[in-house]
Amino acid sequence: MKVCSVAMPSYTYAMKAEKLLSARGFICSIRRRTGKQSATQGCGFSLVISGNCSDALYILDRYSIPYTLDDEGGV
Amino acid sequence: MIINFDNSATTFPKPLSVRKAVSYAMERYGGNAGRGGHQLSMATSQAVFRARETIADFFDASPENVIFTLNCTYALNLAIRGVMTEGGHLIISSLEHNSSARPATELAMNKRIALSVATVYDDDNKTIASFRKLIRPDTKAIVCTLASNVTGQILPYKELAELCRQHNICFIADGAQACGILDIRLSHGINILCTSGHKGLYGITGTGLLVTDGKFPIKPIITGGTGSLSQSLKQPDFLPDCLESGTVNVIGIHSLKAGVDFISNTGTERIFNHEKAVCDRFIRELSKIPSVTVYRKPQCRYVPIVSFNVNGFSPEETASYLSQRGFCLRAGFHCAPLAHSSLGTENGTVRFSPSYFSRLSDAVALANSIKNMAELKKSQKTIEITS
Repeated sequence: MKVCSVAMPSYTYAMKAEKLLSARGFICSIRRRTGKQSATQGCGFSLVISGNCSDALYILDRYSIPYTLDDEGGV
Repeated sequence: MIINFDNSATTFPKPLSVRKAVSYAMERYGGNAGRGGHQLSMATSQAVFRARETIADFFDASPENVIFTLNCTYALNLAIRGVMTEGGHLIISSLEHNSSARPATELAMNKRIALSVATVYDDDNKTIASFRKLIRPDTKAIVCTLASNVTGQILPYKELAELCRQHNICFIADGAQACGILDIRLSHGINILCTSGHKGLYGITGTGLLVTDGKFPIKPIITGGTGSLSQSLKQPDFLPDCLESGTVNVIGIHSLKAGVDFISNTGTERIFNHEKAVCDRFIRELSKIPSVTVYRKPQCRYVPIVSFNVNGFSPEETASYLSQRGFCLRAGFHCAPLAHSSLGTENGTVRFSPSYFSRLSDAVALANSIKNMAELKKSQKTIEITS
């Protein structure tokens, strides 16, 4: 199964995205951001999504949930 | 014996579920929400998000548009100052609490905004007309209480919201005396709803809410740590982080969630009907005492608040007499001088405000105490005359 990671602007959006995607069958988890993005942007949270990442990102876009592709395994 | 009839200031007692929630939060949610990746922080962050969701559902909003504040005053300051940053014209009602009247006046006195006060009448159509005629091309916002904290008069907020919509004006509502008692939703046309968490929503003190539909940007009045984009020295521009700098009141927020759950399970209509029945009985008992004036008009609608005075006693004297008998009522101006100017109550009033936990029998006992007090004065006068 494919796994991708997206950086969320805040914990609130990470939770909102997680609930939205979980309700649609994606397995997601929220993790503290690490790596390069953490060093450049500072603290934050990433959403790790298992499943078809393009579909997951399409859903996030459709619901206007902001995110950026993570440097640690984007799509 | 202590019987609280000052629930408009803060509700007491709180529901058992709220008290349990506070205890649970103290035991479980010891992390800092949105600030770390360890278990304690993540569990706390989840709890805060669940509260956001519950409150968002209750008011027809999105979770990220629920901003936790210290109280309603903080929320109103945030809304007024945040929306009026670039200046413009602001209209407030003549029944506003100081929580909106003071920031509005301060901005006007510093010449940062133009301010008008719309008179509230007994007739809703006249009230709407008084707002309408004050609207100018540069009017940016109307701030209006949903219900007066002095008399409980309900303002025609849905019509005022529609008026704002027609003119693309931001409608900022003070829901401190209405939320939890009336069915208040952003879908009624409110753009920014400010309310306390510790009154009709039954949370603990130190909680308040700003709930926005996001149509009118609100500039932060306080900036700082948000747990997000922390490498940047600029405040994040997205909600709720933009308006929630510093550690949030996790225990308070958890209590507020429990309070909102309590209201949702009980129903606002049931809460309103119970409190109204207590007020109606109290007014009926007061009507038997000739020296009592009740500040209500038959043509107006009210939330369960009754303002009154006893002839020959100042409001403070009345409240003090009743306090000695175990009844807690608020006397004075209730931080709403504009409302007292409108009412013509230059010495203030005594305010009776029940909660869902108030009993009819206690309202009757209170009225009996007021009757005894009024008779005491009568007999004192008789003694003075005869001597």
